Amino acid sequence: MGEAIAARECEARMEEAVNAEARAGALKELFEKKLNSAMRLYLESCARCGLCVESCHVFASMPQTRYTAVGRAEVVRKIFKRYFKLQGRFAPWLGETLEIDDASMDALYDAAFSCTGCRRCMVHCPFGIDTQLVMSIAKALLIGADREPKILTMLADMSIAKGESVEETRADFAQALANLDGEVRALWPASPTPAVPYEVPGSRVLYVALAGSHSIVSAAAIMNAAGESWCLSSFEAVNFAAFLGDSAKAKTIARRILDEAERLGVEEIAVVECGTAFRYLKHMIEHRGFEVVAFVELMDRYLSEGRIRLDPSRLPEKVTYHDPCQLARNSGVIEEPRRVLRALAADFVEMRPNRAENWCCGGGGGLVAMGEEEFRMKSGKVKADQMRATGASVVATACENCHSQLSDLNRHYGLGMRVEFLSHLAARALISPR
Amino acid sequence: MAGYLVAQAVSAATAAAPASGGSAAGAAADAVSAASSLPRSAFGLVLDRAEYGIMVPLVYAALAFLLAALAARLVRILRAPGPPYQLAIYPAPRLPLLAAMRDAFGMPQVLRRAPLFWAFLMMYHVGILALLLGHLDLFPAIRIVPVGSRHMLGAGVAGLMVTISTFYFLGRRFMGETRKISTPGDYFLLLLLLFLFLFGDLMSWGNSWTASGFVMTKKDFAGYFAILAKLSFADPRTVLHGPHYHFIVIHVLLAELFFVVLPFTKVMHAFLALPVEALRRRTWARRSPPANARLAWKKP
Repeated sequence: MGEAIAARECEARMEEAVNAEARAGALKELFEKKLNSAMRLYLESCARCGLCVESCHVFASMPQTRYTAVGRAEVVRKIFKRYFKLQGRFAPWLGETLEIDDASMDALYDAAFSCTGCRRCMVHCPFGIDTQLVMSIAKALLIGADREPKILTMLADMSIAKGESVEETRADFAQALANLDGEVRALWPASPTPAVPYEVPGSRVLYVALAGSHSIVSAAAIMNAAGESWCLSSFEAVNFAAFLGDSAKAKTIARRILDEAERLGVEEIAVVECGTAFRYLKHMIEHRGFEVVAFVELMDRYLSEGRIRLDPSRLPEKVTYHDPCQLARNSGVIEEPRRVLRALAADFVEMRPNRAENWCCGGGGGLVAMGEEEFRMKSGKVKADQMRATGASVVATACENCHSQLSDLNRHYGLGMRVEFLSHLAARALISPR
Repeated sequence: MAGYLVAQAVSAATAAAPASGGSAAGAAADAVSAASSLPRSAFGLVLDRAEYGIMVPLVYAALAFLLAALAARLVRILRAPGPPYQLAIYPAPRLPLLAAMRDAFGMPQVLRRAPLFWAFLMMYHVGILALLLGHLDLFPAIRIVPVGSRHMLGAGVAGLMVTISTFYFLGRRFMGETRKISTPGDYFLLLLLLFLFLFGDLMSWGNSWTASGFVMTKKDFAGYFAILAKLSFADPRTVLHGPHYHFIVIHVLLAELFFVVLPFTKVMHAFLALPVEALRRRTWARRSPPANARLAWKKP
């Protein structure tokens, strides 16, 4: 009897070992698929000089090696060395290589989802290694091992499902937009009817918003004030699959917007204040016959062309600006928001550091969507200190994620500031052109 | 037997060297050649063979391995699919290639954040460049420093530059966060380089500390490189006289080890720095307003 139990246990252990080996093999194949030329360059080049250590806002707030760019990338690099380099076969101890197992998967999760993909480390790295791209391997392996954050998978799937059922919900959506008419007119009374045009073929601009009227009303008022030929997209700009690192789903989410823009024959897609959505549509997917601009770029253009005017007396408080990482250093929208702010704020003060060097707020990479409040508040301490140091009473930004995180930091650290979207400030300061 | 014949040949050659007036080795070289003509012990014969192996055939083998492995690694990277999307950091430079070159060769990111580290890095890389040139200068076809010069290019300063900076890099590896992110491979590589440089220094500097002055000169080293360049497989001791020969052998052995491990270490950055920097500087997406847009907007 005892022998039979022992045999069964032995068999179960062997089966487990075979399964673990098969899983490691499958994940190794997944890893290999991600080895494009850039990834190989990044994995081969790091000299472990440590210059990126202090670049990460998480490390600056919680000084632990695992929260450094190199600490994160090394988890992936050690697996790379184990399976794809001779060192892993002959002298694994030299590079402290890692097997694909439960422990390394935990380390990958810790690395990938403590990184917001802000790429501040890339600015400081002597080689310009992109930790966010390296982390895409970690995320792919986690998805392959069914260990990714399920909330992000669920949100990405929901987003895709919502997109698939757009035909059935079109009438309800149009009605909901009609209900916003009054709110838009409150900001810009001369708005045409409807104040939020929806799916109008031949429009010049397709505006892609988020779920929630806060991302539509102010933008609508500004575009109406500028006399823009525009319409609203049926789809949300947010791309949870990009946070998740599921490139197939991310492309599905982004491409339906591109398809819609093609169908409507627009010349530009204007993306709501959402850094990741903008960067994804602008830089991370194929180009088609139209431009992709961030809404703040559109506002700046309207101002420079004299199509809108803003009254700075409506915002007498001291205002500072938080550069969203995906918009500024990762997409180049750096001076446009400053020009808009200078037009609407009498007292604008810069954060230090700013622009490409700005500290990440700590809410990117899906962390806001995942909750993770305790981690976000701890890792955002350096941002909170930076905000406080400006002495401003209003902090403006142009990204939904940043807005949520900055609001949470403001509350958590008792900063007593007001966090505002740039478009909201601009819409409230609209005055008639001369 | 072959070893004995080699020893005889060396003895004859070293005896002839002072007569030709080519070497300043003088008495020291004579003493060595005299010593080398004595009947050899079994250990001595094995050592002779091993040293010859290190000094000639293994040099070719290590270089061939280095070139083949380097080519294989570079081809593997070049043949991999391109990056999935634009990886640039903004503000984008007007001249991306120039910016990438400035990043790769000037290391402005290091200068801004760690000026002392930058100073040592520059000293190291300039020193490496000088050493490379100095060694190339030993080939008969290349003439940078006069053939008759006692010193190689840099007169030992280049060696000191790399040695001092390697000491700094090694010390830095034991400090703070850098210690925590270091792997055994990082220490081994630095130690390998350090000893390679120290033995090099021993020849360029230590050589002149002997009672008889320079035992081996640039001309002697050039003789050795000529043997290698001509593929004559002659014994290097026909041109390298003096008590430092064994140190040269160790220096060459360490260099061979370095050649063999180079393609598998982070030293690959020497070949990858420019393409990797270009990823940060090159933009693909258009940022300007569309040419076909109705930008000549007129208020209705």
